[in-house]
Amino acid sequence: MVELKHVSFRYGLGESNSEQASSLSDVSLTVRDGEFVLLTGPSGCGKTTILRLINGLIPHFYPGVVEGSVTVDGQSVQERELYETAAQVGTVFQNPRSQFYNVDTTGELAFGCENRGLPEREIYERIDGTVARFRLEKLMDRNIFRLSDGEKQKIACASVDVSGAEIILLDEPSANLDFEATLALRELIRLWRRQGKTIIAAEHRIAYLWDLIDRAVILRDGRTIRELSGKEKDTLTGETLAVMGLRSTMQEAPDQIQLPTIKEGDREIILRDFRFTYPGAGHPVFDFPELRLAAGEITAITGSNGAGKTSFLSCLCGLEKRCQGSLELDGKRYDRKARQKLCFMVMQDTGNQLFTESVLDEVLISLPKGTANEKARAVEILKQLDLGGLLERHPQSLSGGQKQRLAIACALASGRKLLLLDEPTSGLDYAHMMETAGLLRQLQGMGATVLVVTHDSELIRACCSRRLSFSPQYTGRNNK
Amino acid sequence: MAYSSERSQEARRGFLDPRTKLALVLILALFVMGGLGGEALRSIKTVLSALPFALLLVERQGKRFLRGVLMLAVGYGLLFALPYLPGVLNFIALMCGGILTRFVVTVVMGEYLIASTSVSEFISAMERLHMPQAVTIPMSVMFRLFPTIGAEWRSIRRAMRMRGIHLGGAKGTQVLEYQLVPMMTSTVRIGEELSASALTRGLGGPVRRTNICRIGFRAQDCVLLAGCLFVIAVWILEICGVALW
Repeated sequence: MVELKHVSFRYGLGESNSEQASSLSDVSLTVRDGEFVLLTGPSGCGKTTILRLINGLIPHFYPGVVEGSVTVDGQSVQERELYETAAQVGTVFQNPRSQFYNVDTTGELAFGCENRGLPEREIYERIDGTVARFRLEKLMDRNIFRLSDGEKQKIACASVDVSGAEIILLDEPSANLDFEATLALRELIRLWRRQGKTIIAAEHRIAYLWDLIDRAVILRDGRTIRELSGKEKDTLTGETLAVMGLRSTMQEAPDQIQLPTIKEGDREIILRDFRFTYPGAGHPVFDFPELRLAAGEITAITGSNGAGKTSFLSCLCGLEKRCQGSLELDGKRYDRKARQKLCFMVMQDTGNQLFTESVLDEVLISLPKGTANEKARAVEILKQLDLGGLLERHPQSLSGGQKQRLAIACALASGRKLLLLDEPTSGLDYAHMMETAGLLRQLQGMGATVLVVTHDSELIRACCSRRLSFSPQYTGRNNK
Repeated sequence: MAYSSERSQEARRGFLDPRTKLALVLILALFVMGGLGGEALRSIKTVLSALPFALLLVERQGKRFLRGVLMLAVGYGLLFALPYLPGVLNFIALMCGGILTRFVVTVVMGEYLIASTSVSEFISAMERLHMPQAVTIPMSVMFRLFPTIGAEWRSIRRAMRMRGIHLGGAKGTQVLEYQLVPMMTSTVRIGEELSASALTRGLGGPVRRTNICRIGFRAQDCVLLAGCLFVIAVWILEICGVALW
């Protein structure tokens, strides 16, 4: 049993991670053995903080002031050492790239048990058992860096399973996953349910677990605002959810949303000979002899992880020498080099594309050479994107949403007409997702063509007017 | 057939024990790169220099092998071309050639160590050397971070190309700074998340860790370790003024 009694928490000094560092005030929560509880609420509501209190990362790794008591099976988490809690509580984290200690999958599964000094024989047996139940044979003895995000998240779940933890914490495990991978994650959670494990999940995307949970706890600004169980949670309407800042509870495959790729009367972007083959792979991952897209619209690009959507964006940007196709827009033909000045990509990891020391500098280096009144122009663009008050801030210190807007400001400053976004709403709550949708419409209003790679059906519903599917039958893979 | 982790661990066992690899890196760094030892070690050094290449072939790392050979060839090519080069070029060629011929072999050996050793093998080896956890854990995190840093680096380079920031452009002088800032931010973040994840999985407890990976000395390790001792012995004798041949 997990018990939080009147817990308040503030992150201590030195916690610069402002985005996730949200405090709690007077939260009480009891999770019985075998129960499955969902913690949800807008960003910054404190759901990740609660998980960190249960697995002991607070206060042992993230220091701060804890009031009240947190116990697991009657033992105080604060007073115990982290490695003692580790035997009972397993955690799957949000970012598939940064939760692996090993480079190979098998070593990773063994890691938790090795740390506890279990006998070799027992570790082998546990691994083999988990591999059989989770059907992971194909993922064994592989380099983790070569797995897709969905596969990585499976390995993360499996390593929790091997460790034999009775209490499983899930910290937004689906944030980076596509529709199918999310369904696969759901299946693993069902397996744990059947084994009677205690599960506590913090999530924005609640649809895939909504029917599996016993109870949903809704948080806001560090307080519990509502608890829903049984029938209560099934009678929630879309509006009530939106008021509480929650995502939809309905699961919808992005590939099933009916939108045309192009309509009569659209201005056309024509791609010719667009094909891309991964180094060393025999078949191209996509192959478009001729593809027409709608200019001046917001087009969603959908398809499963690994279907080549991100590579498609790179090819459009002219970053892939292997893709020698051409693009035609308004009667002008753009080859690979020319496209580098036509397209701007907002990458998934936006922090990696901001280089300077201040928000203003970031936009200044994007302006074409010889722009009159450089500074005034840059400030004007930043104001349009609601960044006017942050001119001197360091780009790396901004929140995720602000970084995204800054990257878009750079795109506007560079005067590029084609804006490409890679998963702009992964891990965003309802309000932030709608904000991104509004931003995309604003860009469309300014005359830009927007292409957005996304798994987020709600985003597509909120702002996209066209859709390009990256399923194999459309990308020319299975034609011959 | 059902998956057996034990069988697969046995099949994955490396050609050498990580401790042997470490010893070889050390010997190469001292004698080939550091230039320790005089005439008596000259022919021994030639043999030592060939070693990492042979090991790469044994582990079927063809790409790394070819890259190493190419760099070495460029280095010797430059030195060979020296007499035909004028002034400044001559100086540059001497510098590049000197650095390449001296460093490449040891760098290739280090690459071999990293490419052919898994994190768990490394931890296991360090424990058998009775290294304290305070040394082993940070070193193993570093080991784990190399490929991550590589991936982040590539992603940042792409982002720069996309935004049109090139070496030699108007803002060329600042390119390095531009690369380092996001690089450090993301590496620090990933490092922090990695540590958090490892701690929730019980790393750092006072118990004696198990290691399911197979390491241990076999014939090839003994031969190579004996070779290392031999090199050191020859060197000491040389210092003492004993002429061996």
